[in-house]
Amino acid sequence: MGILDRFSGKDGQNSRKTVTFGDAAAVRSLPFYSLIALIALIVFWWFATTPFGFDESFQNNVDLQFQASAEDSELRNEARLAEGKNGISIPFSDPMQRDYLAACEQAPRTEAEVPDAEEGVRDLMANGLKDLPDFEFSEAEIERRVGLVQTCDPDDYSQLVGPATMPSPGDTWTQFNRLRTTGFKNVTIWEHAGTSLWRVVRGMFFGSLIGIPIGFAMGLNSKLRGIFDTPVELFRPIPPLALLPLFIVWFGIGDGTAVNLLIFASVWIMIIAARAGARTVKLSKVRAAYSLGASKSQVLRRVILPNALPELFTGLRVALGVSWGTLVAAELVGAETGLGSMIFDARNNLRTDVVVVGIIVIAVIGVLMDVMMRFAESKLIPWRGKG
Amino acid sequence: MKDLKVDSVGMIYEIPGGQAVEALKDVSFELEAGRLLTLLGPSGCGKTTLLNILAGFLAPTAGVVSLNDKRITKPGRDRGMVFQQGALFEWLSVAENISFGPRMNHKKSAEYAPRVEELLEIVGLAGFGDKQVYELSGGMQQRVALARCLANDPDIILMDEPLGALDALTREKMQGLILNIWKETGKTIVLVTHSVEEALYLGDRLFVMAPRPGRIHKDYTLPFAEQGLTADARELKKSPDFAEKREEILNMIWEMEEQIMGTGV
Repeated sequence: MGILDRFSGKDGQNSRKTVTFGDAAAVRSLPFYSLIALIALIVFWWFATTPFGFDESFQNNVDLQFQASAEDSELRNEARLAEGKNGISIPFSDPMQRDYLAACEQAPRTEAEVPDAEEGVRDLMANGLKDLPDFEFSEAEIERRVGLVQTCDPDDYSQLVGPATMPSPGDTWTQFNRLRTTGFKNVTIWEHAGTSLWRVVRGMFFGSLIGIPIGFAMGLNSKLRGIFDTPVELFRPIPPLALLPLFIVWFGIGDGTAVNLLIFASVWIMIIAARAGARTVKLSKVRAAYSLGASKSQVLRRVILPNALPELFTGLRVALGVSWGTLVAAELVGAETGLGSMIFDARNNLRTDVVVVGIIVIAVIGVLMDVMMRFAESKLIPWRGKG
Repeated sequence: MKDLKVDSVGMIYEIPGGQAVEALKDVSFELEAGRLLTLLGPSGCGKTTLLNILAGFLAPTAGVVSLNDKRITKPGRDRGMVFQQGALFEWLSVAENISFGPRMNHKKSAEYAPRVEELLEIVGLAGFGDKQVYELSGGMQQRVALARCLANDPDIILMDEPLGALDALTREKMQGLILNIWKETGKTIVLVTHSVEEALYLGDRLFVMAPRPGRIHKDYTLPFAEQGLTADARELKKSPDFAEKREEILNMIWEMEEQIMGTGV
């Protein structure tokens, strides 16, 4: 059978086909066009940067920014020093082990130093964290941390276990209710979640808007397949987060970076899904449509598009998952609002209960989104897998 | 002049490696309107290629194919296709599938709706219009495919192993349906099949094709299709005439297969 197949020459038939639009077997990537696309990419890069790029004013601007950030970090250092009265670095300023170890190194070593250190901690907890008016530390927590100063042992991480590292379910529930009503720094968790969701919606929308037509074009036309193969294969393996530093420079901290990063995260997935979708159409379906008098555009709209819906939906579901994960990570540094930034902010203030609530909310929203997609899928494409 | 004319048609493919394969060589025939032609032959004899050329999906490398004195160069509404299976549109209901052709040609619902009902009746699916195609059995799906093709009122119906994926019983029923439709509509039908019995029973003309190069080996004119319209199918297939022809053709194809194997391929 294999030999006969080879002799029947599927490849050979392509040159004699009268209509190839919608015929997946007739579409292959043309390497010549891939090369053109690669050259075009490099030329575009060069043009986009060289003539207008790093001129003097931009360079000065960059220098100024560096200077500013240097001054800023000096100020921060001074503030830190001021925070840590009596020369004590605060072991609870960060839950990470390395900070704990660093703190231990500076912890009082002699009996005489301990009371001073304790005083420093108490003072800071009561008055020092002025930017967190909603987050007064409980007496118990202050005592725990004062105790930490006394018993600081670099080899004993177990001391770190406690409300500050992993809150109990009860604490988490309490914190959830607080986040729900008063919020973290006066922004409720719903607002953070809403911000994040709205970013995902926009990112996915534009990602699909760009990706689906390109994917269809690649699935249906050998030249366009060749042209888009290069950028798709080059950019697709890049983890979106690797572009975060660049995007922050281009779009600043906030929505611009987050949404563009999500477009980048979803566009390749949607291209691949649409390309696969366009190629799953059975030749007999396309031929039947042509025989029934359909035009090319009718074949596209009435056959190829509905036929590709299952693949597109799979793409949307994958893209949604990836986008949601990417977004939260991107918000850690790339934004000042959203669930990710809330978590990061909370971490900096050792509010692990807030962190845990944030994580749970992220997980629940992720599950809900997938359930919604599955429901939509069963309603919109009931024929899936039954063809 | 609704005749189908095939004049010296040849088809040569280049396969990767530069080899040329002669899928069809010098195929010529005329088919008067209203005949039912069946194409039979071993794998690789070019029967599906020929059908695809008639449909206008492939352009032959030599020769001319014309219907009603009009040269065939691309697919058209005058030639309806029925495929083996899976060529229905799952996202449409049965009635929407049948009305696909008229709708693509911008006909109004009032124009085609009564015809759709009529066609459902003809293929034995009255009342199934609102069902989804994936809810139907294989045989019923092929009935829909037939109706969809008829909705466009083509001059000729091309069938590419339309019953190939059906079980024996359904297959027999569908053969009867094809004969009835052939008689009632008077359409020209060209049907490709692997089954000798089916080719004999349905074809009032039958080509046994041979491979390498693909060509018409033997051209039969048969009485069974006409008889089948009135006589019982089982009885007819048991008749000595039928059995004799069946053995003759089976031997012919068997010899061809042996020749292919014998050449060491």
